[in-house]
Parts: sequence; structure tokens; C-alpha cells
Amino acid sequence: MMLKLVVCIKQIPKVAELPWDEKTGTLKRDLAAGMMNPACKHALEAALQIKEQFPAEITVITMGPPAAEEVLREALALGADEAILISDRMLAGSDTFATSLVIKEAIRKQCPEFDLILCGAYTADSETAQVGPQLAEELDLPAAAYVEKIEIEGRTLRVRRLVDNFRETLEMEFPALVTVSMENHKPRYTSLAGLEKSFHANDLMVLDARVLNLTDSSIEAQGSRTKVRKVFLRKAQKGNILMQGTASMVVTEFLDQYQRKIGTVIGKSIEAEKFDEEK
Amino acid sequence: MQLNPCAKHKLIRDAVRNFAETELAPIAAEIDRSATFPREVIGKMRPLNYFGLQVPREYGGAALDSISAAIVVEEISRVCAAIGLCVTVHNGVAVYPILQFASPEQKKQYLSKLASGEFIGAFSLTEANAGSDSASVETTAVQRNGGYCLNGTKIFVTNGGVCDLALIFALTGSDPGKLQSSVFIVESNSVGFLRGELEDLCGMRANPVSSLFLEDCFVPEKNLLGKIGDGMKIGLATLDNGRIGVAAQALGIAQGAFEAAVKYAKERQQFKKPIASLQTVQNYIADMATKIAAARLLVYRACSVKDAGMPFGCEASMAKLYCSTVASEVTSLAVQIHGGYGYSKEYDVERYFRDAKVTEIYEGTSEIQRMVIARAVLSKLIF
Repeated sequence: MMLKLVVCIKQIPKVAELPWDEKTGTLKRDLAAGMMNPACKHALEAALQIKEQFPAEITVITMGPPAAEEVLREALALGADEAILISDRMLAGSDTFATSLVIKEAIRKQCPEFDLILCGAYTADSETAQVGPQLAEELDLPAAAYVEKIEIEGRTLRVRRLVDNFRETLEMEFPALVTVSMENHKPRYTSLAGLEKSFHANDLMVLDARVLNLTDSSIEAQGSRTKVRKVFLRKAQKGNILMQGTASMVVTEFLDQYQRKIGTVIGKSIEAEKFDEEK
Repeated sequence: MQLNPCAKHKLIRDAVRNFAETELAPIAAEIDRSATFPREVIGKMRPLNYFGLQVPREYGGAALDSISAAIVVEEISRVCAAIGLCVTVHNGVAVYPILQFASPEQKKQYLSKLASGEFIGAFSLTEANAGSDSASVETTAVQRNGGYCLNGTKIFVTNGGVCDLALIFALTGSDPGKLQSSVFIVESNSVGFLRGELEDLCGMRANPVSSLFLEDCFVPEKNLLGKIGDGMKIGLATLDNGRIGVAAQALGIAQGAFEAAVKYAKERQQFKKPIASLQTVQNYIADMATKIAAARLLVYRACSVKDAGMPFGCEASMAKLYCSTVASEVTSLAVQIHGGYGYSKEYDVERYFRDAKVTEIYEGTSEIQRMVIARAVLSKLIF
């Protein structure tokens, strides 16, 4: 049986190159180069790993301006089979709620027979972590967020997720939705042949609002319910902390207090022993 | 749907940069210091098509256009020029002549192995008495028992210490007055194929540059590339192509040193302010940025002319001459901006500085490039 996987991905501005206007509090997104959101890359990697174990087909979907085609090409280069770009000026400025409605329509129209939808747990540019769970609601699917491990047995999906300071394992039946965290599923490198080939592929489809039967009034009625009023730069709070005692005491205390924060900054856990239920 | 080639080039740059920064950046300084060829990273590059940049897909290559291939070399060299050198020599002067001049049987025998990186290639023209004067090769190939017996010494062979296959330029013919240069595909496991010690060089130290000794090395007839006497033709065409690669490499070195200098200029405080706020440093940065941008356009221009199927020797020489000059200037200024720290191995710019110099020397010195460019200009009927 062929598993049908749908991966929702987002193109975000390259954080390091993002021009920022401190006076107006706006991000000059159109000036920044785009890239695939890191958590979305992990979600795609999770799908690719499933495809290595089972016969599966991967469809990637993104909503964005025409330039968002780039992340779809990258996904095709990495091993996705089909790509869908939802692009329409009418959809510009959609909030997470409107976005999940639009993606729902695209999935219903193009891949109604899906088994599993995978999303990145959150995006690095807005960090709401809402689109995945909202999409699950809209499609009335069992779902789990912040998933770090996926196992499939027949039609049963078993996932492990990290919540606060504990891990839980959940089981659900297909069709289902998961949002994938950046804990595992380290993205593979893109091959050069894959990239070259992805630009000759005809498996990229572009959908606009009309094709999805979304009209001005339907988007207005159900569309964006939130509005970003202001974005501002958080001022760094600097202060000195003095730790005293023997070297080993100081280091132990330092790690106790700060290893999580350091881990966040450097992007990987430095905790001495990671809790793992298999151990 | 309209395909935007710029999107492809951007994705290729992103992909290579990600690989280089993750895999090569952490080891670049160490493999330079210890002159170590990083086999493990090379192993990771193989399945990602770094050794078959422009090889057709039927042989397992990536079938990239020339700008894409230049971007690959540029981005690797931006982080680790010695490995950029390995990649550009393999693709630009070992694989390229096989693509251009090999028989269908030779392509079948070697292209897949080269494209997959199972075989690393080298190009052996230079000898003790044959550098810029490439016609003065003294290595000989004497016909014997359905093949050729090669004798001679090649020096400064990039990838020499690890190559599985080398293109050897040798003189053929029995009449001493009418010797012709020819090219042979020689596998490194051939009897009589010996490697010398690795060279102890100023820069590019992670690349195993060595001499190759051919002592009654037997090569079967079928390993002659092109025809007897094609040596000059193959050599010149190959060097034209190799020069685009070295230009891209020099560009990457300049870019890497430039970024390090800008970062340092913003961080380094003197007179209670970042040195980037000093006008002299700003002038350095402006000049570096402008020259790098111009250099990049020359590389891509040579690539475009090549992909259009037109003669590109002059364009390649211009790109190589300018990029290597810019690389030397920019890396020197990058050291200057770093001050005393730039002269220390604590910072990467001293490595960039050492690596840059040789781009003005190999694959034709700057003096030879000027000769090629002047000849092309002066040979035009109307000017």
C-alpha cells in the first residue's frame, strides 16, 4: 500500500540577512533572501525517512509569493514527488487561521486521499506554531505537535513528543497530522544533481484563490482574525552574576542554571544525559 | 511555468554553503596546519555529486551549467580553498577533457567512476623544465606491445597524492625531430606509476600536491586520449576551462577573507569605537566589495560564453587574471584590517592570504594570462 504524505513547508527570510527597520518596527521581508523554514526541513526529512521504509509518495505544499517556488524546488531536490504552490495576491497578509483554511482547501482539492500531513512545529520568523494544529482542527484529524520520533505499523501511527519537561508517546490512526520538532530528523544535504533536476521537473503545480473556490467574501468572512499591530526589538538585559566556590562547584552550578539557555543559543542540547525511554 | 535560472543558482549556492560551513569550516584550519586530506568529508561529498559537476546524468553526474559549477567551486573555496582546489582540478581539468575528447568506450569506462568520486582525477602537464612553456615536456611514450611505455617525472600535481587516474602529457613518435605531444589516461594502479613525497607548500596545504614518477609505466593503446599529437590541442582547451575554475576559486577565497574582515572590523574596538567606523577601513571595505563584485561578473561572463558554445579562452583568462589579483589584494587587506591578529594562526585570514597567492601562479601565471588576452585582442581584424 502506498502511503500518501503531505508536507506543509514555508519560505522564511534568512534571519541573518533580514533587514530590519527599527523606527517603523517592520521587517523588510521583500529585501531578504528566502530559505526553507528549519522546522519544515525537519518535517520533510521525517517524511523522506518514512519513504525510505515504506512505499510512499510525498507532496509538498507551500503558500506564498511566486518566489516561494524556491523552497518547493529544494524539496523536490531532496526527494519529494510533487509540489504545490498556492500563490495569489488576494491571500497576501493571511494570518495563521486564514493560512490553515487555504491549505485545507488545497489538500482537499489536490490530495484528499492523504494518510499523514507533516508540518514544521513552528516557523523561525513568527514562532506561532499554530498552522499545523489549526489545520488538524479544520480537517478534523487526530494530531500531535512537537513530534520527535515517528513509527508506523499498518495504519497506526506512534509518535513521541517532547512537552515541557517530559516525553509522551501517542498512538493514532491514519489519516493524521503531526508537527515535527527540530530535536531529531536532521535534514540531509541537498545533492547537486537533485537541484539541477528539480528545475526541469514538471511536477510543480500553482494554485490560486479562484481554483480553490476562495472568493473575496469567503476570505473576508473566515479569513484573518488577527492583525500584527507592532513588532519591536527586545532590549537585551545585561547583568553580571558572580559565582563563587571551587572550580567544579562553579561549573556544576553554571551548567545547572544555564545549560538549557546555552543549548538554545547553539542549537543543540548540551545536557549531560538525555532522557530516552529506550535506555 | 517560467523557470528562473537565478533561483537555481541561489539554491545551489545555499546548498553548497550549508555543506561547506557544516563539514569543512570546523576542520579547515586544522587540515591546513597538518596538511591532511580530509577523506571523511570527501566521502560525504561523493553522493552529493561534487565530483561530477558537469558530467551528464547518464554517467551519474549533476549536469550543471557552467555558472552553477563555478558557484560550487566558489562556495567551497570561500570556506576551504584546498578542497575547492581538489574539486575544481578533478572536474575542470581531469573530467572535462575526458568529456570533450574521449572515445565512447573511454567515457563508458571512466566517466561514471569519476562522476561518483570513486576515482579522483589529476592533470599532469607540468615538469621541471615545462611550466609556462608547456611545449617543452620531456616525458616520453614509446609504442610497445599494443600500448605505450611511459617514462618521465611530473611535478606539482594537484591531487597527486590521492588521484586514482591522471592525464599524462608525453612525447610520442620515433623521429627525434618530429616528436608530438599526446595525452594518456593512466590509472594509478598501473605498474611503474609512482608518487613522490607530498609538497610542503605555502598554501592549499590540505591538497596532496605531489610529483608523479613514470618508470616504464605501461599504458594500453585504448588509453590514448584523442589521437597521437593531440596533446597541445587538448592541453590548451583544458587549461581554458581550468582557468574558469581557478577564477571561481580565487573569487571564493576573496569572498571568505572579505566577510571575515567585515565581521572583525565591526567587532574590533579601537579609540573606543569599532574600527569599521574609521574612514580608512571603510575605504578598504568599499574597494574590496567592489572588486569582488566585478570579479564575480567576469567569472559568470566566461561561463556564459562557454555555455553558449563559443570560444571562451580570452574570457577565461580575463576572469582568472582579475580574480586571482583581487584574491591577493583582498586577502592582504583582510590581514591588514585584522592587524597583528591577522598575522596569527588564531584567525583564518592568514590562511586565506597564503592560499590566494598561488591562484596567480597555477593554471597559467598572470603573465601568461596577459599574453593570452593580448593575443586575442591583437588578432582581431578591426579595433
